[in-house]
Amino acid sequence: MSRLELKDVRKSFGTTEVLKGIDLTVEDGEFVAFVGPSGCGKSTLLRLICGLDEITAGQMAIDREIVNDVPPAKRGIAMVFQSYALYPHMSVAQNMGYALRLAGTPKAEIEQRVLAAAKVLRIADYLERKPRQLSGGQRQRVAIGRAIVREPRIFLFDEPLSNLDAALRVEMRIEIARMKERLGTTMIYVTHDQIEAMTLADKIVVLNAGRVEQVGSPLELYNAPVNRFVAGFIGSPKMNFLTLGARHGDSYALPGGEIALRAGLEGATTIGVRPEHLEIVEAGRSGTLGGTLTMTEHLGSDTYAYVALPGTEDLLVVRLSGERALKTNQKVGVALDPGMAHVFAADGTMLASARPVALEAA
Amino acid sequence: MFDLSSRISKIVFGGLLVVIGFYLFFPIYWMITSALKNNAELYQIIPTFFPHEITFSHFWSAIAESRLLVYLGNSLITSGASATINTILAIYAGYSFAKYRYAGRQPIMLFMLSAQMFPFGLLLISLYPVMTSLGLLDTRPGLILSYIVFALPVATYMLYSYFSQVPDELIDAARADGASDLRIFHTIVLPISVPPIVTVFLYSFMWSWNDLLYSLTLIVSEDKRTIGPGLLLTYLNETNADWGGAMAASLLVSLPIVIAFMFLQRYFIQGVTAGAVK
Ligand SMILES: Nc1ncnc2c1ncn2[C@@H]1O[C@H](COP(=O)(O)OP(=O)(O)O)[C@@H](O)[C@H]1O
Ligand SMILES: [Mg+2]
Repeated sequence: MSRLELKDVRKSFGTTEVLKGIDLTVEDGEFVAFVGPSGCGKSTLLRLICGLDEITAGQMAIDREIVNDVPPAKRGIAMVFQSYALYPHMSVAQNMGYALRLAGTPKAEIEQRVLAAAKVLRIADYLERKPRQLSGGQRQRVAIGRAIVREPRIFLFDEPLSNLDAALRVEMRIEIARMKERLGTTMIYVTHDQIEAMTLADKIVVLNAGRVEQVGSPLELYNAPVNRFVAGFIGSPKMNFLTLGARHGDSYALPGGEIALRAGLEGATTIGVRPEHLEIVEAGRSGTLGGTLTMTEHLGSDTYAYVALPGTEDLLVVRLSGERALKTNQKVGVALDPGMAHVFAADGTMLASARPVALEAA
Repeated sequence: MFDLSSRISKIVFGGLLVVIGFYLFFPIYWMITSALKNNAELYQIIPTFFPHEITFSHFWSAIAESRLLVYLGNSLITSGASATINTILAIYAGYSFAKYRYAGRQPIMLFMLSAQMFPFGLLLISLYPVMTSLGLLDTRPGLILSYIVFALPVATYMLYSYFSQVPDELIDAARADGASDLRIFHTIVLPISVPPIVTVFLYSFMWSWNDLLYSLTLIVSEDKRTIGPGLLLTYLNETNADWGGAMAASLLVSLPIVIAFMFLQRYFIQGVTAGAVK
């Protein structure tokens, strides 16, 4: 049992309030990802949970015990830092055993636990090395190992993979997924990487400017974002947003065409369509948006087509699966299924999601 | 910006280096050659650039001069003690300034550094009566104390600059691992700070080792005299000026320092924090 509960947690530095009331429950054994733009307070929140900083107001409980004033080591929480923060003068084994040594664990037990963790992370051969003699990936493993040997109730990760190159990042992501399976411990993971969050997390918390925008499973956030911020933040490439023009009944003008929305939607100002829900067709086909294909990107598995619609600055991104040969600088039509459009009100709240089923669930 | 790799700038900078080098090394060269000349050559009206005849007699008489050993010992005691105390104080003060936030932190630091802005000869005038009233005149603790007064601000500032660069995440990691503040400082921060600490120790040591004015003024007794005033009063007093002896003795007493520096200099360039972060 390791359940974390935050109630209206706030944090101010001087007069600036960085976290503006966070309510959140992390269930036992859950893997939760914090995502959000840089500076929104992800690290700050993680440091509060760890106990490195004191919360300004609110309440935090682990397994129903209020831990507001409990020092880090007594919370049973281990944190993996973005910069690894390995002790440079200590060997890998000493780094991993430091916390246990402080806690007065018998030497033999420390050695055995360090070795066990090192074997799992495949760093057992490097136990006598200093951090500077390790590669980036190995250092990351040591940092994770240092957290594992403590057998904490909750693991915290602050963008642990952001210093690694792309290939290593994928490898370590899989490593962390395995670790989650094996240990079953509650984990909180801060990342700005969409794929990490979507693939690893049971639950994603989207933060923005010190507030929680939405909490949900990866697919909930993808299919039924509660507002325009979440819609734009989750998904890559980003969702396309189009401003609705003049209205005739349930039909609205759009740049280069028009769209008929579900009856009875009042106050709709913007629609959002994911790139994968658009299709490029021949110019002039009825019910499509007319524009100019300005650029294509070939990723092998996918082709991204960028279309300029009349009267808009932003290019519309269309994600086509597979290799698609398209001539640029020609008129094209963009087919848009109205059922795949998310509809937003002026204040950004969502009026209708792409999938009514998911909307009911939300 | 002008081009540093151009021919002209190479010539200009090269010339500049030669001039600076001359100023740095000529006195040492002159010391060595003077020590090796016999007195007749030494006192020629037109000095010779290179000794015609090399003699070691000045060195033999310097070694035979037993007072030098006493002065050397006194210097080692005062310089060693003041450098040790100074380094320890600077370590804790510098770390506190670098890693803790408290009211008055900035003003205290500025206040400390402002002591550095007065010519130290001037401060001696006010220090003298203080030492007198404390009964510290002509005592080793008095001299040691006055050296600390002067070296501490810069020593603290040097370590403050270094400690400021120790990554906060390193300290946080240790805190999350359950270490207390003092524990973190002693088991994490200190071990990775050996090079700057050695530098500060040497800086403080040099300060007192090279001093002439303070020691000459605050110490009267022959048995507590340090090497600077010792050399001066032994070789260059009102009645005679034995330049050859002074040069030879100076060379001999600088030997231990030069050797110590050669052993410790690797600490200046060593980067111990490599591998901690990133
Ligand atoms: N110790 C601090 N003192 C003052 N402001 C801070 C401190 N730590 C973080 N902040 C501010 O809080 C905000 C959130 O920072 P952070 O939690 O690091 O964001 P991120 O989501 O990128 O991890 C930022 O605007 C940052 O400037
Ligand atoms: Mg951060």
